[in-house]
Amino acid sequence: MQLLMQQLLNGIALGSIYALFAVGFSLILAKMGILNVAHGTFATWGALSSYWLVFEHGISFWLALVLGVVFAGALGVAADLIAFEPLRKRNAGTFAPIIASIGIWIVLLTLAEAFSGPTATSYPTESVPTEPIRVAGLLLLPAQVISVIALVVIVTAVHLLLTRSRFGAAVRAVSVDPRSATIVGVNARRTLIAVAFLAAAIAGLAGILAALSDNNVSFGIGEALLLKGFAAVVVGGYGDIRGAALLGVAIGVLEVMSAQYISSGFRDAITFGVLLVVLVFRPQGIFGERQLVRA
Amino acid sequence: MSTTAWMITLQFAGVNALFALAIYASLWTGVLSLAPVFFGAVSAFTFGYAAGTLGLSPFLGLLLGAALGAGLGALTAGLLIRLDSHYLAMATIAMVLIGRVLILNLTEYTGGATGTLVPGDLGTWAWLIGTLVVAAYVMARLAGSRFGLAADAVREDPAVAETLAISPRRIQFVGMIISGALGGVAGILQSSFLQYIGPDTFYTHLGFVTLAAVVLGGAFHWLGPIVGAVVFTILPELLREPMGEYDRVVTGVLLVLIIIYMPRGLVDVRRLRLVRSRWWRPKGGGAEPDGPDPRDPQPTVRAEVAS
Repeated sequence: MQLLMQQLLNGIALGSIYALFAVGFSLILAKMGILNVAHGTFATWGALSSYWLVFEHGISFWLALVLGVVFAGALGVAADLIAFEPLRKRNAGTFAPIIASIGIWIVLLTLAEAFSGPTATSYPTESVPTEPIRVAGLLLLPAQVISVIALVVIVTAVHLLLTRSRFGAAVRAVSVDPRSATIVGVNARRTLIAVAFLAAAIAGLAGILAALSDNNVSFGIGEALLLKGFAAVVVGGYGDIRGAALLGVAIGVLEVMSAQYISSGFRDAITFGVLLVVLVFRPQGIFGERQLVRA
Repeated sequence: MSTTAWMITLQFAGVNALFALAIYASLWTGVLSLAPVFFGAVSAFTFGYAAGTLGLSPFLGLLLGAALGAGLGALTAGLLIRLDSHYLAMATIAMVLIGRVLILNLTEYTGGATGTLVPGDLGTWAWLIGTLVVAAYVMARLAGSRFGLAADAVREDPAVAETLAISPRRIQFVGMIISGALGGVAGILQSSFLQYIGPDTFYTHLGFVTLAAVVLGGAFHWLGPIVGAVVFTILPELLREPMGEYDRVVTGVLLVLIIIYMPRGLVDVRRLRLVRSRWWRPKGGGAEPDGPDPRDPQPTVRAEVAS
């Protein structure tokens, strides 16, 4: 029982990071209609830049976290301005942005690999919180607590932002039809850039938390997140960030549990197997609704 | 580069061209799929097992790859073809990822993380060029066939195609089968060249390089993927010396630039025709079928009707 509870906690903490990443990924996918496979590298660069600030410049971890998140967001904006905006202007459809994002992915991943070197490092232990907390016989690492809190805060904030604010209304309008949104006075370009920043910044946060939790900063962080995040978005349902968040957590729990009780080797196969099964039998996702699009 | 290095690079270009043709075959019908990499992995490991233990002959190996790939293509199409474009693309990427996990865990058949050795019977120019010529011939014949015309129509606009009594699903189903057969054969040739296959041989990297090749070469003519694969395989080799570890950055930048400024790729029959007609008098009539202009609002978006 003790083990089960502990693993459940570990799963929720791991899943929180997946969920956080999935929220950003889902924002771009649902609101901008771009399957951005470069999204993982934003997470990688968030982690790498914050590590660089902490290690090379001795900046406190919390400040480095904020700066890393901002840097990741800036990368997202740059990618949008360089690659996605010209395609949007040309009305290039769904394939072209995927291919452009693959190009961005290759560039950012290669640079990350060159920047970090082949070996993985970790944040200097004295600069990050590491003292475990014991609650009722269960062990909680600070990184896990931070991840869960970050997820709850971010999901609530983004959900409220999208559903209750003027900005959210603009985002929803632009995601349906940028031209009509422009006609009624929405600055579509600025809105999309803001979404790109938000999505990439959230990815950066997820990357930093993943690096902190694993005690491992490397260029591969984003790749793992990308796949789990995508699975969460698909299974959770198109366009609903709460679904994506919930499924992200569920995937984390499923992974930890299957590693504990079934086989650690097949851990990833189980996640992707669930993904494929859901795609076959319920393509709109568990919480997704049928989307009606004008023919 | 030395001559041997050139030879090896060109051989890989040939194999990549087959993979690129496999991706092109489904893209032709409006389906973006990286599944050929997975098909290639399955047939390569099957071939490695069969050739290693049963001493399968090379020709039977190629047939096996084509059959296995086609079967898997049909199965994939049957299960996934009704997904809309994003999800289908990502589902096929998920297949590639699952493939790696399976290879790592089915140690008995695949050798797990250490991989497995494959006899290099097919690692000669004759087999490669022969296979490529056959594949290119089939694609060229298909281009003018009823299937080719229907595929063009489906890619352009499935809804319109349907009004022309074409079943988009059926065309895409056939496209996936061709894609599977080509992917399977490519996988066997790849394993025969490398003589060693492991969990990373058929992974996302291969999928993206070949997809990039299709885009670079041009996804509207069967020659495009072949040209693209040759360029995209040779380019990094040439850049390795001056660029070092940054050679792949050029690949990525090129991919973005091409999709923005040259969306129809290097082999663009329509542009060629335009240029030709500007210089010479147009030879009236006889226009060959060509894909849609990606600058037009893409059909796939409009096709995402409630399904």
